[in-house]
Amino acid sequence: MGEERGSITLLCLTASSGVPLFCRSRGTPDKHQLPFSVIGSLNGVHMFGASLDVLLTAACTANTHVAWRVFHNSITLIILSSEEGASDFSLGRLLDNTFSAMVLILGLEELVNIRNIERLKKDLRACYKLIDSFLAPLERSGDLTQCVECVLLPHGAALQECLEAFAGAAKSRFGCMVARGRLALATEPWWQLAPQELLLLTWLVGSLPPHAARDYPVYLPHGSPTVPHRLLSCQLLPGLEVCLLCGPSPSLHTVETELVPRFWKPLLELLQACVSPQPLSLPHGATLPLGVLAFLLINREQRSSLSSVQPPGSGKEGLSPQCRAYALRHFYALVTAHYFPWEGSPGPAQESFLASFPHRAQHCYVVSTTHKAYAIHAPQHQLFLLLAPHVPTFALRPLATRALQCLTGDTTC
Amino acid sequence: LFYLELSEGEDEALQDSTSELPTVNHVRFCENEAEIIREGSRKERKYEPRLKKITKILKKKSLLPKQSGKKGAGDGNGPPSVPTSILKHQSTQKVGVTVQQQYKEVRAYVNPKRLPNAGTGEQLKLLELLIGIIHQSLWSSRRAEEQDGSNKGISAEKLVVHGLVPGSSAMKTGQILIGDALVAVNDVDVNSENIERVLSCIPGPMQVKLTFETSAFEPEGTSQQRNKQAQSGMNNLVKLLWGEDNMDLQLAIQGMPHIVMYLTLKLDSETSKDEQEILYQYPISEASQKLKSVRGIFLTLCDMLENVTGAHIISTSLFLCGKLVQVVYWKESDKLLVIGLPAESVPLSQLRNMITDVVRTLKFMYGSLDGAFCQEENVSRLDHFFNLFFQRAIQPARLNSNASPSAQYYDSSSALLLDNLPGVRWLTLPQEIKSEDYYHMRRLYMIMGSCLFYKGYLIGNHLPKEDLIDISLYSRHYCLLPLAAEERIGQLVIWREVFPQHHLPPCEASSVTGYKEPEARYFLLIVGLRHFMLCVLLEAGGCTSKAIGNPGPDCIYIDQVKATILQLEGIDSSIEERLESPSIPCLSCADWFLPAARDKLENFTTPPIFSKLQSTSKTGTSPTSKRTLFSDSSLRTRKPSPSRSSGGSDNGNEGPEEGGGLNLHATTLDQVRKHERKESQSFGGSEGSGNLFKVSKKKNTLPNPFHLGNLKKNLSEKDPEFYNTIKLTSGPENTLFHYISLETLQGIFITPTHKEVQQLSGSIHPQLIKNFHRCCLSIRSIFQQTMMKEKKKNADSGSNSDSRKARSDLSLVREHGVLFECSPDNWTDQKKPPPTMSYWVVGRLFLHPKPQEFYVCFHDSVTEVAVELAFKLSFGLAT
Repeated sequence: MGEERGSITLLCLTASSGVPLFCRSRGTPDKHQLPFSVIGSLNGVHMFGASLDVLLTAACTANTHVAWRVFHNSITLIILSSEEGASDFSLGRLLDNTFSAMVLILGLEELVNIRNIERLKKDLRACYKLIDSFLAPLERSGDLTQCVECVLLPHGAALQECLEAFAGAAKSRFGCMVARGRLALATEPWWQLAPQELLLLTWLVGSLPPHAARDYPVYLPHGSPTVPHRLLSCQLLPGLEVCLLCGPSPSLHTVETELVPRFWKPLLELLQACVSPQPLSLPHGATLPLGVLAFLLINREQRSSLSSVQPPGSGKEGLSPQCRAYALRHFYALVTAHYFPWEGSPGPAQESFLASFPHRAQHCYVVSTTHKAYAIHAPQHQLFLLLAPHVPTFALRPLATRALQCLTGDTTC
Repeated sequence: LFYLELSEGEDEALQDSTSELPTVNHVRFCENEAEIIREGSRKERKYEPRLKKITKILKKKSLLPKQSGKKGAGDGNGPPSVPTSILKHQSTQKVGVTVQQQYKEVRAYVNPKRLPNAGTGEQLKLLELLIGIIHQSLWSSRRAEEQDGSNKGISAEKLVVHGLVPGSSAMKTGQILIGDALVAVNDVDVNSENIERVLSCIPGPMQVKLTFETSAFEPEGTSQQRNKQAQSGMNNLVKLLWGEDNMDLQLAIQGMPHIVMYLTLKLDSETSKDEQEILYQYPISEASQKLKSVRGIFLTLCDMLENVTGAHIISTSLFLCGKLVQVVYWKESDKLLVIGLPAESVPLSQLRNMITDVVRTLKFMYGSLDGAFCQEENVSRLDHFFNLFFQRAIQPARLNSNASPSAQYYDSSSALLLDNLPGVRWLTLPQEIKSEDYYHMRRLYMIMGSCLFYKGYLIGNHLPKEDLIDISLYSRHYCLLPLAAEERIGQLVIWREVFPQHHLPPCEASSVTGYKEPEARYFLLIVGLRHFMLCVLLEAGGCTSKAIGNPGPDCIYIDQVKATILQLEGIDSSIEERLESPSIPCLSCADWFLPAARDKLENFTTPPIFSKLQSTSKTGTSPTSKRTLFSDSSLRTRKPSPSRSSGGSDNGNEGPEEGGGLNLHATTLDQVRKHERKESQSFGGSEGSGNLFKVSKKKNTLPNPFHLGNLKKNLSEKDPEFYNTIKLTSGPENTLFHYISLETLQGIFITPTHKEVQQLSGSIHPQLIKNFHRCCLSIRSIFQQTMMKEKKKNADSGSNSDSRKARSDLSLVREHGVLFECSPDNWTDQKKPPPTMSYWVVGRLFLHPKPQEFYVCFHDSVTEVAVELAFKLSFGLAT
C-alpha cells in the first residue's frame, strides 16, 4: 500500500548552520535515502533565497511536492512527498504538526536557542515516534484536520463523572481518558486546550510504548511552550489509559497506587466494555444510510472529530479501509483548502485567490470512478462522507443531510 | 507583420455605428478597390516576418480623407452625420477620391548618420530607413503587368505612401497619410527613379521639406487635429497593440513581481558575457529584478529535483515583498522557460495552463522556443509579446476600457478562466452562414482552412481543431478578439509565417540550399474589417509552388478575404440580433431570488425574459405599472407550459441529439421559437449541443418573487415549504444562472454572450458570476489532474497490463459541485437575519467519446433529479 502511495521524507536542519538534525521517511527503501548533497542543496536554495529576501515555500514536479518552512529562525523543516494526494495544504499541516511535536517534547527554548547541536540531536530522538505517526497516519485523520479524534463510550456519563472526581482528587483540572489512541473522555478544562495540543497529547499517549504508569514532561506548544507540565498516564486496561496534566504534585506513585484503584476499580466492568476491538463510532442507536463507506464528522466548536472508515453496515465490498481513509483524507484536504473557511492552525499563506470566494460554500461533492464524496459545512459541524459509487449523484445531498442528522442527533441541520 | 487601422473615435460618437460605417467601408471597397485595397495589400508585402520591429503596425489614416473626399463629391461639406442614403449613391462616389488633389508640405527631421550600415543597395531603402515611408514599387510593377499595364503603370512612377514605419520621423509628423504620393523633397521633384539619389545627397541631420500630393480634401490643420483626437480616443488595448509606450499601464503593474526568463542550463565558460545563462528576460523592473536575482534557485531546483524525483519541475512558490509569487517552468532540452506571477492575480493551476499556451503560441509563431528566444532580432518583438501577456494576466480589466462596468466586471472575472480554455468562444447562430469558399484562390498558396470571428465570437470554421486553437491562441494573445468586439476595425491585416504544430513534418532537408527547410511552409493571414475577423491559414510548398525567402502576402488573397467579409455583411445584423436576444438557455439573475433585492430591482431594467414580451416596459415606469406588467407577463409565461409538457419532459429540457444538420426546436420561455440550423458541412456535424442545454426548472409560478409585493414577508422568511408548494403548482421559472460548455474535440466553448450577461445586472449577480468563474477554475484544475492521470494510465496500459488500474484511480474525478450561499451585501435590518440564496456550481467532465467539460450554475431549488436529467439529455450520454 505504502509503496503505491509514494514516499515521504522529512528533513530537519538547523536554519543558521544547515546541520541536519534528523531525517524521517516512509515508503523509501533504505538505499534511496536522500544523499547528503541533495539535502544540502535543498537547504541551500532556501538559504540563498532567504539571504535575498525571497522566501522559498514550495515547489512541485510532476510527481513530487516539496515544501520548506523555517520555524523561529532556528529550525528548518523540508518535506518531500511523492504521495499521490499530497498538496500544499496537507504538507503545511504536516510541517506544522511536526514542529509542534518537537516543541511538545523538547520545549521551545531548546529549539530556538540551540547551544549544543549534538545534544539536541539526541534529544530529538524522543520525538521520532510521534513524528513517524504523522508520516504514516494510516486510518487516522487528526493530523490533517487538527481535530482530536474521539471515540464514543458506552456509559459515558458514569465514566465522565468518575473522571471528574479522579482529576479533582489529583488536584488537577486536566484529565482525560484515551482509548486506542483516540480521546474517549476529557474534563471540561481539557477541552479548553488548543485543538492542536489536544491532538498532540492524544497521539503522544498513543505512540508511547505501553507502561503501567508514566510521568512524562510536556510543553504545551500554544499554552506554555517554555514551562513544562507533567503528563501522568496510568494504564487502566490494555489500550485504555487515563491521563492527567498537572504541576509538581501529586506524585506518580500516589496516583498509581492510591487514586487509580480508588476511582477506577469499581468501574472495571464498564471499562472493559470500552476496549472493544472495534471502536464505537456511532451514537447509540444511530444507523447511517446505506452506501456510506466512511465518514468524518467534525465538531467545529470543540474541534473534535469522529470518524470511521468501516461504519457498521457499510459492508466489506468496494474499497479497502486504507483506500477509504486515503480517499477521505484527500477529499478533506481538497474541500478545506479550496472551499470551506479556514479552520485550525493558520497554515502558510495559501493562494489567496482561491480562498477568496465572494460567497460562502456550504456543500460540496465529488464524483469519481471509485467513489463519491460529499461534504456539508453546517454551523456546528462539518461532515465529510465517502459513498459507494452506486449511490446516484442526485441522492447524495438528502443522504448526506440525513447522515448528519443521525450522527449529531440534531434535526435542525 | 501587422497592420491595423481603426475607425476614428469621433466617427463612433457622431454616427450611427451600424448604418454608416459599414457603408463607408462598402463604398470604399467597391469603388476604390484599386486604390485602397491594393494599397493595403501592397503595404503588407513590404513587411516580412523577419523584420526587426515587433509588430508592423501601420497607422493608416486614410479612412478620414476618404470619407471627407466622398463627402466632397457627394454633397459638399455635409456634416459627418450624412444620411446613409446619400452615401449609397454609387455614381457620385465613383470619382470621389481621385478628383480631389492637393499638395501639402510636411517637414520631417532626418538624420542619415543614424542609419544602420545597410549597404545592400536595395531599391528605395533610404526612403524607408530615412524618412520612414514605405513604398513598394516592385509589387506595383508586377501588378501592372498582370493587369495589362492599365493605369497602374503610372503609379509605379509615383512614390505612393504605402505604409509608415512605426517610430519613424514620417510617423511622428502625423501628417503623412497612406495613399499620399511624395512628389518633391526640398522642392526637388522625385519619383521612384531618382528618390534614392536625392535622399543620399542629404549630408547630415536636417529638416527636409517633403511635398505630397494628397487625395484628401481636408485642410491639413483639421486632419492633424483629428489625428490627435483619434489618438486620445484610443483605448488602452489599442495602445498596447500599437506598442506605444503607455507609461500608466506599465506603471500599474510595475510593483507586481512578475518575470519571464529563458535560461540555459548549459554553462559556457568560454564566453565572458555577463549573465550569460539568461537568454531572454522581461521586464526589467525593480520587483522583477529580485526574481531575476534568485534565478539560481530555479536552475538548481530544476536540475536537482529532476535528478531526485525523475520528473520535470512544474512550479515553485516564493514569498517576495510580502506577496506570494508562483513560478512555473517549461523545460525543453537544456533550456528553461520560467514565468513568475503573483498568486493573487493568477492561481497556480492557471499559471500552468498559461505557460503551456505561451509555449504553444511561441512555437506557432517561431517554430520553436529556441527560434523565438535565441535570435537577436526577436527581442523587441518578444518584449511586446510578454508585455501583452503580463497585461492580460495581471489586469485584464484595464484592457477593456470601453465596456460598461458590468461587462467589464464580467470580463475580468471570466478572463482568467476563459482565456485558458483550449477553445474559442463559439456563438450559436440562428441562421445558416454561407460557406465561404476560397478554393478558387489556389495559386501560390493552398488554403488550409479559415475561420471567421465576429466580435470575438467564432462563427465559422473550416480548420482542424489544432490549427484553430493555435490561431485563437495567437489572436487572443494579441488581444485581437476583444479588439474586434469593442471597436470597429477599419482595417486589419496580419501576415506572418507560422508553424502549426501538427502540420510540421519531421524536418526534411531540402537539397536546394544549405539550410534545412520543412517541406511546406505555412502562413497565417488575418483580415479584420469592422467586427469581423477572418483568419486564413495558407500553405506554401507541397502541392503548390515553393515559397522562397520570406514572401509577403499576395494582395489577391487579401482582396479575396476582404470580399468574403463584405459578402458576409448581411449577416452581421442577424448575428447582432442573436447577440442581443436572450440566449436559448435563458439565464436568470441571482438577485431575483432574493426578496430583499426587490426594491432595488425595480430600478433595474426589465429582465430579458420579459423584455421580449414587454418590450415597451422601460426603466422609467413606475413600480406600480411595472407590477402589472409583470403579472401580465407571468400570465403569458404560463402559456407555454402545455406545449412544454407535451414535449415529453416536464421540466422543459430539450436535449438536442448529436449529429448535426438537425432542425432543432428550442422551447423557450419567451415563446420565440427559433429554428436553429446547424451548419453540418462546416462543423462536422457534432457541435456542442450544450448550447441548447436548458435547465429551466420548476419554480414558483411567479417569474420573480418580488412581483408578489404582498408576499414579501413570506418570502423573506424563506420558508422552504413555500417554495416547494409553488414549485409543484408552478409554471416554469428559470433557475439557470450561468453556464460554460467546453468541447475539446472542436476546440470551442459556449457561454452566454456579453450582452446577455449585461442585461442581468444586479448587486448579487456580478458576484455570482465572479464566484462561478473562480469555482470553475478550481474545478477545472481538478479535472485537469484527472485527465492527466487518464493519459498516464492509457500510456501505462499500453505497455503493461491493467492490473492495478482500479487502485490508483482514487481521484479520477468526473463531477464536482459546490453549493454556495449568499445574502445581500447591505442588509440593514438588524432584527431579521439577512435572507439567503443558495446556488450550485457544478462541473462535469465527460471523457468519452470525446472530452467535454461542462460548467453550470443554477439555483438551489432545482431538484437533483432534474439536474441529472438535464445533464443526460444535454449530452445524450449516460454517465
